[in-house]
Amino acid sequence: MVGPLETMPVSPHARLVRRALWLLAGAILVFLYLPIAVMIVLSFNESRVVGLPLTGLTLDWYEQALTNRLLLEAVRNSVIVSLIVALLATIIGTMAAFPLVRGGMPFPGATRVFATMPIMFPGMLLGIAILIFMRRVLDLDLSLLTVIAGHLVFTTPFVILIVAARLQSLDTRLEWAAADLGAAPRKTIRHIILPLIWPAILAGGLISVTLSIDEFIITFFTVGPQMTLPIYIYTQIKFGVTPEVNAIATILLAAMLVLLVLGAFVLTARRRVERGGEH
Amino acid sequence: MTELASRSESAPATDGQGSGRGRAIGRLLPALPAFLVLGVLFLGAMAFALVFSFWKTENFVLVADWNVDNYAKFFTVPAYVRTFGKTLLMAALVTLGCLALALPFTYFLVRYVSRRWQRIILLAVIIPFWTSYLLRVYAWQAILGEKGVLNLVLETSGLISEPSRLFVYNDFGVFIVLVYVYFPFAALALYASLDRFDFSQLTAAQDLGARPDQALRHILIPQIRPGIITACIFVFVPIIGEYLTPTLVGGAQGVLIGNLVVNFFRGAQIAQGAAFAMIIALFVTVVLVVFRRHLQVEDVVARG
Repeated sequence: MVGPLETMPVSPHARLVRRALWLLAGAILVFLYLPIAVMIVLSFNESRVVGLPLTGLTLDWYEQALTNRLLLEAVRNSVIVSLIVALLATIIGTMAAFPLVRGGMPFPGATRVFATMPIMFPGMLLGIAILIFMRRVLDLDLSLLTVIAGHLVFTTPFVILIVAARLQSLDTRLEWAAADLGAAPRKTIRHIILPLIWPAILAGGLISVTLSIDEFIITFFTVGPQMTLPIYIYTQIKFGVTPEVNAIATILLAAMLVLLVLGAFVLTARRRVERGGEH
Repeated sequence: MTELASRSESAPATDGQGSGRGRAIGRLLPALPAFLVLGVLFLGAMAFALVFSFWKTENFVLVADWNVDNYAKFFTVPAYVRTFGKTLLMAALVTLGCLALALPFTYFLVRYVSRRWQRIILLAVIIPFWTSYLLRVYAWQAILGEKGVLNLVLETSGLISEPSRLFVYNDFGVFIVLVYVYFPFAALALYASLDRFDFSQLTAAQDLGARPDQALRHILIPQIRPGIITACIFVFVPIIGEYLTPTLVGGAQGVLIGNLVVNFFRGAQIAQGAAFAMIIALFVTVVLVVFRRHLQVEDVVARG
């Protein structure tokens, strides 16, 4: 592809700007990864006290993290909550995206605003409202169920928006063609639409998992006696004991990266197969 | 999912049939669960919080004694108004900071980096989200603190003679960490609109005699304005309700309005806390409604 870049005369000035931008972009990436690097380094640091210089390297924190029952329970709770949240949000959100895009919804503009508000609202407000609703209106005890309810409020809109954006870009003529050929609406959805939008549904589900598993402030207001991982980390930070949670976060990050690489691998392999199938 | 769908036999078509009215309702039906969830847990819950903000808390119990004292307290205690004003100022400064970094960053990305690397770098911007937000913020204590990375670097380079305590547990620390936390949102919003921009327009402007800065100001900026506004809202609005960052790196000086709200709830002053929450909610709603036409939420959330 010949872009405007190649056709433009490159003055020494432009070269300077370009080099400066290079440096800035690099500095920003360092800025973004510095805390993560610190977190990983601290997870191997011998001393309990956060700070430099390092006193020595150790794997003790990993060992302790993996035998700490409270911590493991918090991880388990977080995983359970995020999976349930993702499943529900994905189903509910995908269903809602259809009438939102394909019409039939009264006040489409207002509905859109309504569906995006929970994303834009500070999480603290959502947490407070749900806390008040559960405790003072329904008189329920706080538990993982109230946490799930709280997380659903802001993950469902993400799924709606992502799936709706994908539906919007679909060629409606595909659906008309299916209908012309005698497919019932349900059949069209199954065989034409779902296969085309599944990446968006999957993306919505994945985003729901990642958002839910790391959500602090809504959980903070809605959590009962069973802790989630962020809540456990928060209590540890309050006491200033973090090497173990640094270790567990490093493990989780590594797991995510492995999943990412695997996912990318599967996707490219799949694309290759599909491309091969076309011929 | 695809294979499952293509293998399964077709079900009898029952939906979408019948009279016009029934059909319209049938088409809306899939949205019902989402409307229930958001209607009850968002709108409904907010409505109750609004009601309770006009009540009183007596001995940890909400009493239906209608009054506006909770709101009056906000406006009559100077410290509260000042904290709210400071929160808005902090949010504005962080928004500027994020834009100042994200604009050149995304411009560079779209202009000088191949498509393939654009995707990789964008991914690199998103990946930090996969690590605990709490621990990332906490790590800043280890960077900005007295025995932190920054002091170590400055000391060994001879710029300062002894470690400074001025980097963290104050407003400066909150500013740095908030810019760090919200930069990716600004970058995603700006990238989406820069990506749609036709850069040959810049060349054309320069061909017609515009200086580079004029071309940027009059051609580029107006066209990516929706992206800039989206970025601003995605940074500005959540900071108004920010709690963790000021708590972890703000110290006594760095308190924001969110800390006050949490303290009210900690002290079981539910009505008072609800009133403060409603003031924030009203402010946020006004911002969202005013800018609704320019806000492109999908650009930030629906990438990839």
